[in-house]
Amino acid sequence: MENGHSPKILIVDDEKGLRIGTKRLLEGEGYIVETAENGCEGIKLGTASEFDLAIIDLKMPDIDGISVMKEILKVYPDSVCLIATGYASYETAIEAIKFGAFSYIPKPFTPDELFQKLSQGYSRRELIIERKKWKQEREERLLEVAFEKSRLNTIINSITDGLLVVNKNGEAVLYNPSALKYPGFDQIKIEEYILDKLHPQITELINKFLSSETSEQKSFSSQVELKANRQLIVEATSSPVFNPDGTLAGVVVIIKDITGLKKIEFLKSQFVSMVSHELKAPIAAVYGYLKLFSDTSIHLTEEQKLNYLNRSQIRLDGLLKMVNDLLDISRMELKTVNKEIKEIDLTAVIKSIVELFQIEIKKKNISITINVSEKIPFLQADQDEMSRLFTNLLSNAIKYNKTGGSIVININSSGNYIITEVNDTGIGMKPAESAKLFQEFFRAKNDKTKDISGTGLGLSIVKRIVDSYSGKMEVVSEFNMGTSFKIFLPLRNGNNNTEQKTG
Amino acid sequence: MAKIAIIDDDPDILDASSLVLTSKGYEVVTATNPDDGYKIVKENSPDLIILDVMMNEPDDGFFLAQKFRKEKILSPIIMYTSVSKSLGMDFGINELVPVDEFVEKPISPEQLIEKVNKLLHKKGEV
Repeated sequence: MENGHSPKILIVDDEKGLRIGTKRLLEGEGYIVETAENGCEGIKLGTASEFDLAIIDLKMPDIDGISVMKEILKVYPDSVCLIATGYASYETAIEAIKFGAFSYIPKPFTPDELFQKLSQGYSRRELIIERKKWKQEREERLLEVAFEKSRLNTIINSITDGLLVVNKNGEAVLYNPSALKYPGFDQIKIEEYILDKLHPQITELINKFLSSETSEQKSFSSQVELKANRQLIVEATSSPVFNPDGTLAGVVVIIKDITGLKKIEFLKSQFVSMVSHELKAPIAAVYGYLKLFSDTSIHLTEEQKLNYLNRSQIRLDGLLKMVNDLLDISRMELKTVNKEIKEIDLTAVIKSIVELFQIEIKKKNISITINVSEKIPFLQADQDEMSRLFTNLLSNAIKYNKTGGSIVININSSGNYIITEVNDTGIGMKPAESAKLFQEFFRAKNDKTKDISGTGLGLSIVKRIVDSYSGKMEVVSEFNMGTSFKIFLPLRNGNNNTEQKTG
Repeated sequence: MAKIAIIDDDPDILDASSLVLTSKGYEVVTATNPDDGYKIVKENSPDLIILDVMMNEPDDGFFLAQKFRKEKILSPIIMYTSVSKSLGMDFGINELVPVDEFVEKPISPEQLIEKVNKLLHKKGEV
C-alpha cells in the first residue's frame, strides 16, 4: 500500500470459495488476511487482535453478520467493518450502517469493486487513527501545561529572593512568599495599587518602565537601604515583561538581601585602610630620617646619624616582617596553604623553638621550664605551621616578659587533644585589651609596651592556624602579673586529609 | 622664639620632626600619647600644637583638639594624618574639627616649616 504499511483484514464468510478467492486476491495486493468460516470464529478472531478492516457476511448459519460486527466493535471500535450481503437491499445497508458498519458490499462483487470499497475503508481507518493520535497528544499536552504551571509556581515560591510582578497600572499581579519579608512588600495585595507602598527607590525602578514606551529588554538595579544603619540593604532589580505583540505587560522586581555582603565589603575596606596605615607608619618614619640627612640646613652629629640609620633599619625590618605576616594571613584566608601533614612530636618542636630564642632569653635573664606529661601522642600536623604557631607565642612570652621573669610551658594530652600552655610573668593585659587580642594590628599601647616592637599580626596568625586544625585556644591574663595561653590541638581531625608520611 | 608641642605615638616621627623644628630655632616639647600631650600643653602653653590624628584610637587626635578648644587653648593646631580619608574621616576644618591645617604623612621638612611659619605668622597678625 501507499505508506508501506500492510493493512490487516479479517474476512468472515461461510462460503469457502469466496474466502479462499478473496484471501488470495488481497494477499496479492499486499494485505495481511485472516479468515473465519462462521460468526463464532469471526468474533473470536476479530476481538483477539485489532484489524484495520473486516468484511463480514451478513447471513451466516450460526450468528448474523451485524451481531458479529457489534461484538468486534465493542472491543475495537476503530476497526472499519464492511458488510457483505447477497440480498442487496437498501434496508440491510441502512441497518448495517446504523449499527456501526462503514459501508456494505453487494455480493457477488468484482475485484475492482472490492478494492475500491476497501480503499475507501482504509482511508477512513487512517483518518480515525490519526484523529485518535492527535486527541491523545492534545490531552498529554494539556496535562503537561498544567504540570508546568504548578511546577513554575513551586519554583517561584521557593526562590529566596523576593519577587514581585506589577502590571502596567502599578497593581500587584504576582509575588512570592520571600517578598513579604521586606518592609513595604508586606502590604502587597493582588490587584491592588502597590507603587505608593514601596520604598521610593524601588518605585522609581518600576516607573522607569511604566512611564516609558521602551520595548527593550533591559534591567535596572539599585542598592536600597530598607532599614537604617545598614541593618537591611537589598539589591532591587526591575525588568520589563512584554506581551506577545511587544507591548509592555508589566514589570518584574527581584529583591535580593545583600546586607551580609555589604558588611563584608565594609570590613574589607576597613581592613585595607588599617593595613595602609600600618604600612605607612614605618615608611613615614624612615622618610623623615632620610629627609634629615638630605637637608643641608640641618646639622647632624655622627652619633645622631648612626642612631637614625639604626632606627631606620629597625623600622624597615618591622615593615618587612609585617608584609610577610600579611602574606601569611592572606594565604591562610585563601586556603592556598598546602599543609604537609605528618606525625610530629610537638614537644621536640617546642624545645627546638626555645633553643632558637636562647639569646633573647639570656638577655632578659628569663628562666624557662618545660613540663611534659608522660606519653604525649604524635600530632598529625604541618611542622612549619606548628613552628610558626609556637614561635609567635614564645616570642610574645619573651618580649612582654619582665627582666628576670619566667616562662612555664606545660604539654599534656587529654581525650582527643594535646594541650599546650604557655605561661609568662610579663606585663599582662587589662580586660579591655584581652578582648581585642586577636584583632589584626591590635597592640596594647602603654608605657610598658612603647619600646616593644611588633606587627600586631602574630596572634591573628596563631588563631588562624589553630582554627585551621579545628583546635581552640584560651587566654587568661592579669595586668602586671602575666598571661597564659592554652592551645588545644586535636589528635584526629576530620577536616584534614591526614596523609601519613613516615621517616 | 616660638614654642611648639608635638604629640605623636611614633617616637621616630617625634624625633625627626623635633630635629627639623629645633634646627630652625624653635623650642620643642613632645609627648607620645594624648594624656601626656594634654599635660605638656597645659604646662608649656605652646604657640603651636602638632597632633597626630591616630594614636591609640583612630580619632584620639580629634578628641584632644576638641578638648584644647573647650579649655580655651587657642594655639593653632596642625594635624598629622596618614589614611584618615580612606577610613571615612574626610573632615573639613570646622567646629567639630578645630584644627588649622592637615599635613599628610610622610612629611618633608620644607613642608612642615612652611606650614608652621604660616600659622605662627597668622597668629602674630591677630
